[in-house]
This record gives sequence, structure tokens and C-alpha cells, in this order.
Amino acid sequence: MIETLLQTLLNGAASGGVYALVALGYTLVFSVLGVINFAQGALFSVGGYLTFLLMGGRIGVNGALPGWGLPGGLPFWLALLLAAAGSGLVGLLVERVAFAPLRRRNAEPLLALITSLGAGVVLVNLLQLLMGAEGYAFPHGSDALGGLPDALVIAGARIRTIQLLLLLISAAAVLALSLWLERSRGGRALRAVAEDATTAQLLGIHSEAMVRLAFFLSGALAGLGGGLIGVSVSLPGPYFGIGYGLKGLAVLVLGGLGSVPGAIAGGLLMGLAEALVPSEASGWRDALAFAILFVVLLLRPRGLLGRRTVEKV
Amino acid sequence: MSTPLLELQGLSVHYGSVQALAGIDLVVHPGELVTLLGSNGAGKSTTLRAISALVPAAAGQILWRGGSLAGVPAHRLLKLGIGHCPEGRRVLSRQSVADNLMLGAYLRRDTAAIHADLERCYGLFPRLAERRSQLAGALSGGEQQMLAIARALMGRPELLLLDEPSLGLAPKLVGEVMAALAQLNREGLTILLVEQNAQAALSIAARGVVLEAGRLTLAGPAADLLADPTLQAAYLGG
Repeated sequence: MIETLLQTLLNGAASGGVYALVALGYTLVFSVLGVINFAQGALFSVGGYLTFLLMGGRIGVNGALPGWGLPGGLPFWLALLLAAAGSGLVGLLVERVAFAPLRRRNAEPLLALITSLGAGVVLVNLLQLLMGAEGYAFPHGSDALGGLPDALVIAGARIRTIQLLLLLISAAAVLALSLWLERSRGGRALRAVAEDATTAQLLGIHSEAMVRLAFFLSGALAGLGGGLIGVSVSLPGPYFGIGYGLKGLAVLVLGGLGSVPGAIAGGLLMGLAEALVPSEASGWRDALAFAILFVVLLLRPRGLLGRRTVEKV
Repeated sequence: MSTPLLELQGLSVHYGSVQALAGIDLVVHPGELVTLLGSNGAGKSTTLRAISALVPAAAGQILWRGGSLAGVPAHRLLKLGIGHCPEGRRVLSRQSVADNLMLGAYLRRDTAAIHADLERCYGLFPRLAERRSQLAGALSGGEQQMLAIARALMGRPELLLLDEPSLGLAPKLVGEVMAALAQLNREGLTILLVEQNAQAALSIAARGVVLEAGRLTLAGPAADLLADPTLQAAYLGG
């Protein structure tokens, strides 16, 4: 009983951590440009597939190059890191094709919702072209986790190691990002651009470079989430990131648009609530998630930690 | 005379079909405090915004130490030595007073000197020292103005462009801000001061120029302008 509860809470916190990653990615871009990057879910997929390939996974029979794979598999942590960086670069590309041309023309910022959605659809379809629509499972066992055992026994309860790693890695990423934003010279500059890009320029801050940095970090967070979910569950198909992207969007609104602590709190609440749905009723998980969103917004229209006016970062 | 620090030659700026500046010439020498006067909409802020590359020049040239600034983007100007304290204070209200000041020194890497300058700013504006850990948005208007000036100083500019520092301030505070500017100028900072409060600005400036509808109509030493009958009538409430 204790074991089940502990495992359930850990599962919830772990997926909550991933939701927080995705929501923070939205938050970063939203703070500097005031728009939602709808390609975030696709970048999540990209991260999952990149991690798979970097760990030595091979392309299936329906892919563009059946049986092809990268030579030599990287250890889990290194693959995850590189996949996050790779997704960040794809995020930069999304900025270049879906956001930058609109900004140059001073177009209505809301148009970026459509262009980024388009970029996301293209990315997912490219993944499908390259990898096929089939699901992929990561190699499991101690090799995959760099020698760590598949399960740990904590306080008499058996815990899947990967779930613990999932929680620790996403918590570390979220913490590192918050500290960087709050304390570092670069973080202060990014927040300055978020508040007033013109004034930031007068202080010598290259606003455009900061916008690109936000897109890179945002893509890297989504990619990290995709890699983590891929390793802990599987890659059910190129569209798998879209669901997480939508869940992250719900978490973003739940926590309060643009609030970093809100994204973290919203992610955890969402993850834990879902985990508490008994497995016989697992079909109701998403319904529960959005019911929570609905109730919270009825009671607190600005989200859990949203500020009075819509403020950014 | 030495090469001017800043020189505008026939600078024109358009906003759509509206001409905001119609070919103005202006020279600022090292160590000078020059004030740019004029009523609302005369083109004073536009002049500063054009120097800072926030609006494009339609015609004419902006020279810095004799070299053209054409094509230099806004974020590179502080590196060259041009600091700009914009109109309406524009402090970063969601960051602390101390963080605002540190952002002023964003381009600098000399940590020890940055901290020395920070203390100098707190010495110049003691009220900022008392509120260093508060959010800038929680400061009063006068304190925000001091913060904006101090933040611009943290970048150690050679030329400071100041846009309406007296706007919305109580008369006593206007006096304090002007006294601080006069002191900075005596310490060697070159200042181009845009003001509607001609009396206050001319009391500390060496020279003044008057803009009307995008053209320079009057220029001369501050003392002469203070005594000028047309200026008296238009801007000095005389």
C-alpha cells in the first residue's frame, strides 16, 4: 500500500516536472515576445527522437532509411544533454522561419500562433518521414541508465530508477533556469528585454540575440522533456509531443501566464492530480487535468500565481 | 577648437509622412553641457532617438568623434560612449534598484570598478541607497528619475543624452536633479540635455539651442538665452 502510494506520488511528481519544463519553455518565449510558440510540442517530439538516435536506436522499417542508426550508442545522460541542445537549435530554426519574418514586418504578434503551429506540423511530419509512424522503445536495463539498477528500494518501497531520475533532472533544470534568470547577468538582461526591449538596447543589450537565446532555451527544455519521457515510457509516434505541448499550455495557464514559479507549481499540481487517478480509470486522466484547469480559472482567473496584470517573467 | 564629440549635420527624421526634424545642425564639444529646448512636439526627443538609432535618419549625418554613426545599431552605441537616459524614466519596474543599476553596467567586466561606481551613484542619490533592494516599480516618480540617471551613469558614457529629467517632478526635486547634473558635468561628463523647463536647464548649461517644429530657431550661450526677450515670452514664463 505504502509502496503503491510512494510510487504513485513519484510518478506524479515526475510527470509534473516534465510538464513544468514544457510550461517554462512557453514562459520564456512568452516573456520576450508576448506570444505562445505552438511548435513547443513538436520540439518535445524532436527531443525524444534525438535522444533515441543518440543512444544508438535504429530507424524502423517504415522510416526513410530503415535499419540506419548513429554509430555507437551514447550513455543516457550525454544523449539527453545533446538532444536538448539539438532541440534548442531546432527551436532557433523555428524562430527564424516562423517568428523573425513577422517581427521584421511589424506584423500582428498573434499571427505567430499560426506560423508556429505550421512550423510544428512540418516538424512532426518530417519526423514521420524520417522515422516512420511506428512506436519506438528505448533499450532498458542497467546499460541504458549507465550502470544504475533498474529499480531502487527506498524505505521498503520499490521505485523505478528512471522515474526518480526524471524528477531529479527536471527539478535540476527548472532550478538552474530560475537561478540563472534571477541572479545572472544574462538572466537580468533577458528579463530587461522582456520588460522593455527599447530600454534594454540603450543599456547595450542586443535584444534580438536575447530573443534567440529565449527560443534556444525554450526548445532545449522541450527537447529535454521529450527525451526524459521517451526513456521512461517510450516513443509512441511522432505526434506524442503534441499532447505534452497541450498539457504544458494548460499548466502555463493554470500557474499564471508568464510566471516562473507558477509554471512549476502548475506542473506539479497537474502531474500529481493525474497520478492519483486509479489506473482502471486512466482514460479519465486528461479529463481530470482539464477539469482542474477549469475550476482553478473559475476561482482565480489569472492562474495560481498569476499577477494582477499580465506580466512577463 | 578640438574635434566635436558629437555633430549633427542636416539631420532630418520622418514619421510616416510627418516631418519631425527638418535638417538640424548641432555640435557638442567634449566636457560641454548643452541643452536642447523647445515645446512639446518640437522634435527634441526625436533628436535624441535619432542619435541613439531608435529612429532612422531620413537625411543628414550623425558624427561621433568625426566618424559617421550610419548603420550602427542602438545596442552598440553605449559601447562607443553614448549613453541615453530616455524620456519617461523607463526604469525596469520588475527588477530591484540594485539590479537596474547593474544592468546599466551590462557591457562592463571590471567588477571592482562597477562596485565603486555603484557606491558613487548611491552617494550622488542617497535615496537609492536606502531602497536598493526594492523593486524599481515601487519607487516614487522622483526616485525613478534618479534611478534612470544613475543607471545611465553606470555605463560610464562619455556623452549622456538626457530626455526631460524634470518631467513630472516637484520643483524641489527638479533643483536636486539639476544640481546632480551640474556636478557630473563639472567632473567631466559631456551632457546633451533635452528640457521643457528652460529656466532650470539654462541655469546649469553652458549653451542652449531652441527647436521649433523640427527646426533650430535660436542658439547661444545660456546667459544670452536667459535674457532673450522672445525666449522669455515663449518658454520662461516672462
